[in-house]
Amino acid sequence: MDLELDADQLELRDHARAFLADACPPSLVRGVYEGTGTADGLWKSMVDLGWPALGIDVADDGLGQGFIAEAVLVGELGRVVAPTPYLATVTQLAPMLAEAGAHDVLARIAAGTCTGTLAVHETTAKASRHITAQAIPIGGGRRVLDGTKTHVLDGATADEVAVVVRGGPDDERGLGIVLVPREAFDAEPLIVIDPTMPLATLHLDGIEVDADRVLIEPGSPEAGWRIGLVQAHATVAMAISCVATCRAILEATVEYAKQRHQFGRPIGSFQAIKHRLADLYLAVERADALAWYAACTIAEQDRSGHAPMAAHMAKAAAGDCQRLATRDGLQLHGGIGFTWENDLHFLLKRAVTTAFLFGDAASHRVQLAQCRGLEA
Amino acid sequence: MRLQFDDSVEAFRAELLEWLALNRPSAETMAADPSVSTGHAPEWARRWTRTMFDAGWLVPGWPPELGGRNATPTQTLVYLEELAKAGVPRTTNVQGLGIVAPSIIDYGSEAQIRDYAMRILRGEATACLGMSEPDAGSDLAALRTRAVRDGDHFVVDGQKVWTSGANYADFCFVFCRTDPDVPKHKGISILIVDMDSPGITVRPLPEIVHPEHPDLNEVFFDGVQVPADHLVGELNAGWAMANGSLAHERGMVWVSAVQGISEAMAHLHEEAPDRIDALPPDERALAIDRITQVEIDAFAARCLGYRAFAKLARGGSAPEQALMKLFTSETRQAVAEVAAALQGPDALVVGGASFDGHQAIDEPQGTWLEQYFVSFANTISAGTSEIQRTIIAERVLGLPREPRPA
Repeated sequence: MDLELDADQLELRDHARAFLADACPPSLVRGVYEGTGTADGLWKSMVDLGWPALGIDVADDGLGQGFIAEAVLVGELGRVVAPTPYLATVTQLAPMLAEAGAHDVLARIAAGTCTGTLAVHETTAKASRHITAQAIPIGGGRRVLDGTKTHVLDGATADEVAVVVRGGPDDERGLGIVLVPREAFDAEPLIVIDPTMPLATLHLDGIEVDADRVLIEPGSPEAGWRIGLVQAHATVAMAISCVATCRAILEATVEYAKQRHQFGRPIGSFQAIKHRLADLYLAVERADALAWYAACTIAEQDRSGHAPMAAHMAKAAAGDCQRLATRDGLQLHGGIGFTWENDLHFLLKRAVTTAFLFGDAASHRVQLAQCRGLEA
Repeated sequence: MRLQFDDSVEAFRAELLEWLALNRPSAETMAADPSVSTGHAPEWARRWTRTMFDAGWLVPGWPPELGGRNATPTQTLVYLEELAKAGVPRTTNVQGLGIVAPSIIDYGSEAQIRDYAMRILRGEATACLGMSEPDAGSDLAALRTRAVRDGDHFVVDGQKVWTSGANYADFCFVFCRTDPDVPKHKGISILIVDMDSPGITVRPLPEIVHPEHPDLNEVFFDGVQVPADHLVGELNAGWAMANGSLAHERGMVWVSAVQGISEAMAHLHEEAPDRIDALPPDERALAIDRITQVEIDAFAARCLGYRAFAKLARGGSAPEQALMKLFTSETRQAVAEVAAALQGPDALVVGGASFDGHQAIDEPQGTWLEQYFVSFANTISAGTSEIQRTIIAERVLGLPREPRPA
């Protein structure tokens, strides 16, 4: 097993980093935070560079570079808190479309003419693992939806939403996926701590879905397993993003500890500070190694059953790492990090957001234990 | 970035496994005559080292004349993993094969290589490493054992402590002060000292678990005469070699450490369902969560090791060695602690023949609580966890050094 980027992937990373240094400076993020600017131009540039197409198969009009390349971009976007539809469109909707063989919409994503997201969570965040939304058959292969999804990333702006549903009111009916266009439902934007990761509640009651928009037939063979793989894909991407943001917090904090002098010496020369930063580095490396391992299981389409477990480990570790990064990043910056004028809080809020979406650390540990047959 | 090795590595693995199946010492052979100290090589261990040397499997990355087969770093990684999985020690004299022999080969004279390094490689001698002293632990450069040149000899006076295997070893790789009048790092030299030299007294230090098999010792040098040609490398150049020696130690130590963690974790998972059933229902979720936390650490240790290795194999330096030492030793400790806590008062019951005395293998031995106590050997020795954190902060993160007292 080789968990280092190869030469091409490193080159992609360096190009992306250089591009984003210009195209997504902290001032752009601040504009989004303060409502004085948008990141529309950034997304357009990313489309021009072919980024949405990068990981999509050639057969679906993509560039066929695979998930590792995609994850490299996810990480770079996370480092700079980029406010773009990339994460939801490319790592949530696109893999669902690929799993379902929905060529046309995938091709639109590759072309940059369609954005999207995946709606999983319901009512309370902690209930996210239990799906109650339904798609009830009404004849002719059509279905009518019943239910509400919440905490949907880009839910108020995405062109297409893949919704995880049950086949009916009965709990035993299997899970499935329907694809709903933006204009079909009411979306209620939530006021969130990180406006670069906009969330919305989607009211789906009474929406009728044509047969060709049922991406995965509820209760069809392996439907739950296939949806699980796509969720693993989205979860791993979220973990990669979270860890990249945490690494940026670590780097900013190390830099600050070198610059800031008290008692006639840099605060970073005090062992109390050093050991906290060493522990944070350890947490970042631990989470990063697990995230890239999990990314390999996604990239190699490992259907041995390890991909979901790897995703649970990756997201749990990302959450652990976020907890330390947020706490120590803010604490060690002292008062300056507490001010709105300093850019640190963009990173802190993005780290928490990506740690909590698609399952926090505790949730993924419970799911990992269940994979191991351990249940309380 | 990929999960599998290429075919040539897998072919190497297959060849090794076939050879191991035919040539390895059996578990019964090893158990019948256990190695009771890292300086102790029972007859089977001496034969096994010689067998590996002759077949080019002792240090695969070295050329055939040194017991290798010019294996690539990746092949060496696979070799260490498979040996650890098979439960066969490469050697019982870990510091001899892992540090002393490579250091002599790197820095020693032809005669030293012939008379000392090669004897370790052929299973004819064992070595111990005389570094730590009562007042020179984490601050190793403060060591005070003196070596004074007197004609064609050095005369060595002083004391070492925590010297693993000194109670059985044939010779010691002794770090001595040869110039007390220069800054402490610049006056250290290395001597090869035969352990049967007059004036050496070894006092074993029984450990907190299984005191009947002491591995650690105090070693007293009282006017010990050492031939001048036993000086390794240049006079007063010992500190650079010390760093080289420890690099040997830390290079791929993680492989067996990670394997030990995996095995401990596998045992914990075997026991877990019954142990959890035995808990009051309202304690189960907490217990499961603690197990899951160490499971994630255990797997992360493997991923981190592979990543550090990939960096090393591509020619980068590996500051990750401090990270691996810190993370594997603390994870091993955490697994034992979680497992012991899961047992409740049962953890307090010890005894039986669960500990076979092997000092050289990272595989879990003894009860969970015994493993927990034993695990401190690795968070304390070879640079404590606190020292590793400082190394990470200064050498990896680039934080400024603590001002040194004048």
